[in-house]
Amino acid sequence: MPKLPSPPLPKALRPAPRRPGEPDEKQATTPIEVAADAGISVVDWIDERTSLSGGIRWMMFRKVPRGINWFYTLGSATMFAFLNQAVTGVFLAMYYRPDAAGGAYESVRYLTDQAFLGQLVRAMHKWGASVMIILIFMHMARVFFFGAYKYPRELTWIIGVVLLILTMAMGFTGYLLPFDQRSYWATIVGVNINGTGPFLGPYLSDFLRAGPEFGATTLSRFYAIHMMLIPGLIAALIGAHLYLVSKLGISAPPWIKAQEEPELRQTTL
Amino acid sequence: MNQAEKEAYLREYSILKNQGKPFFPYAVAKDSVMAVVVMIVIIFLAAMFGAELGPKADPTTTTYVPRPDWYFYFLFEVLRVMRNIPKFTDLATIGVPTICMILLFLLPFYDRSPERRIERRPVALAAGLTTIFAMAFLTYTGANTGSPNTVDLQPPASLTAQQKAIFRAGALVVGNSGCLACHVLGNNGNDGPGPPLTHIGRILRPEAIASTLRNPTAPMPSFAALAKQNPRQFYDLINFLGELQ
Amino acid sequence: MADRHKEGSKSKYTLDRQMPGAFEGETVTRRRFMTGVTHGAGAVAAMAFTLPALGFAIGPLFSRLPWSWQPIGPPEDFTDTTYTTKVIQIVQGIGEAGNSIAYVRKRDPAIDTEPLDQYNHWVALSSRCMHLGCPVRFVAAAERFICPCHGGVYDFRGMVVGGPPVRPLDRFYTRYNTSTGLVELGPRYSVNSELQRFSPRDPGQPLDGIGQYLYPPRFDTASLTSR
Repeated sequence: MPKLPSPPLPKALRPAPRRPGEPDEKQATTPIEVAADAGISVVDWIDERTSLSGGIRWMMFRKVPRGINWFYTLGSATMFAFLNQAVTGVFLAMYYRPDAAGGAYESVRYLTDQAFLGQLVRAMHKWGASVMIILIFMHMARVFFFGAYKYPRELTWIIGVVLLILTMAMGFTGYLLPFDQRSYWATIVGVNINGTGPFLGPYLSDFLRAGPEFGATTLSRFYAIHMMLIPGLIAALIGAHLYLVSKLGISAPPWIKAQEEPELRQTTL
Repeated sequence: MNQAEKEAYLREYSILKNQGKPFFPYAVAKDSVMAVVVMIVIIFLAAMFGAELGPKADPTTTTYVPRPDWYFYFLFEVLRVMRNIPKFTDLATIGVPTICMILLFLLPFYDRSPERRIERRPVALAAGLTTIFAMAFLTYTGANTGSPNTVDLQPPASLTAQQKAIFRAGALVVGNSGCLACHVLGNNGNDGPGPPLTHIGRILRPEAIASTLRNPTAPMPSFAALAKQNPRQFYDLINFLGELQ
Repeated sequence: MADRHKEGSKSKYTLDRQMPGAFEGETVTRRRFMTGVTHGAGAVAAMAFTLPALGFAIGPLFSRLPWSWQPIGPPEDFTDTTYTTKVIQIVQGIGEAGNSIAYVRKRDPAIDTEPLDQYNHWVALSSRCMHLGCPVRFVAAAERFICPCHGGVYDFRGMVVGGPPVRPLDRFYTRYNTSTGLVELGPRYSVNSELQRFSPRDPGQPLDGIGQYLYPPRFDTASLTSR
């Protein structure tokens, strides 16, 4: 098999070169070495069949331009907040019952007061939403002020705006689910705001409510949108966003200028 | 950006990229530290403030004051600011956010200059800062406004403690009676169709206020029923209005 | 020969276009046929799950809510000087979450100028503010309905006197049931500023002037025509 070029690891992480006098191929003797060898052979087995390592190297060992700083971590921080929302959300869904006749409120009350760590997980989901919204706006501000949405990254920006809208929609649909007074009235007002759009507004609010009044299936509709439809879209669009970031490269800070070196000019010509 | 500018950018960027470092582990290290910070913040907020669960949803309530989540405060505040102009309700509720979203979507298409340094993009800098300050201001005021049916006037310092209590009780009656629908009191209420009441105590003596409340000119409703059924509240109301110098 | 080839390339028969392996009378190449099959079958298969799912999701737009006449009390309960608060059910099967409030009073010919018919001997107002649907409260002292959200205020008849609401409070049809001797409440209807009846609309949708065309009636609302 042809050997892939070794990744451009920093010196400290590279394996030490063989010292003169050492045997050519060290035989695994200690249990740790045996386990490491077994792990390597499993990874090799997968890679022989999928050729994933090329993609992972492309993604992880691509170069990022000079001068990137802490502002560039806001995007990945937003994604991390989304992961927190996804995981805590799945655990909340294990207790939640989307039943407008009282089951929804009772299940959230049980989750908050009785379930082990339920209060913490629910609070993490609730505060994670706020943190995610703040991070997504900060990330957007960074991209705006650094001019990073300009050529060739226009499509990345547009996907990002869609992600922002979907995140706000998550906030709106999730707000109803505990089914307390705040949730109920905020949803009534929110649906009616959508209803004030000319021509299509009345039909849009009917679609959100599943009928002319807040009814039996409104809550389950919001629940399905909140935990399946929008998260699926967000995950897919985050994938597209990340692919574009890797393909086009992270934008350099606008104040960094390339010092053209003679040999670099040679290679770019 | 024309073709030459595009190529110039790509050339410049490839040099910068060549001079850079690998994503793993240099950029990922920063990202991981940031992820830890994010989780510390989330868990701190969760442990400190928890997640409250209010009373159960009750569509038959007549006293509840609905409030949105904090990240919709700016929209809430836009609605509140534009409430005096019924014609523009649609504009505030649907129009303003829709226009903002379209502008955000199309940003790369109308901002086509090759310049990326923010200090050389005065229009973008002004627009960005204006947006941030407007959002922050609207969120802040949205968070701090009470119900539109309360009067947040402080009693004058010259009053005795008992008079201050009457002043506050009267302000409550004004809020609960819907006077703010037609009258301005300080920063509260709608300007018109009724006359402003901010300094009504300078114009009318308490006896005149009382007789106006009993026999107002249409379309103002008469408060004679209140004077008969609840003279205490009527007294508070007159004294409150009389103190508005 | 060159001429014939040029002419042949325009012909609809593959044989004339010098295609290798062409059949007599064949007009569609195999590649085009396979491409068409791919697009067609793919579209049919995708639509086979998309259309039913979409129809299922938007179906409720076209189904009417069931409603019935709900008894709210004997006629003596209601006076023409103040409103009585009645809890009514507008959606069945979801318990308290399907309830709402109606403010009911007897019709007062001195102030209620809209034409009298069998459905408005009692005036029943909905508690939903016509700005964005918050719950309005009746303040007896001022004879006003007040909305806690954005400061909408309505007078004793439910007409807007201040704030952002775009039309008077919605109403319910009422009737007197002679067999039970009780006042009954029917479906909701919306009114414009002249108190003309319209099929029920959502809050925030004006019904005066151009408003009734900007916000068309929906398919799913119960209505009762005056007879």
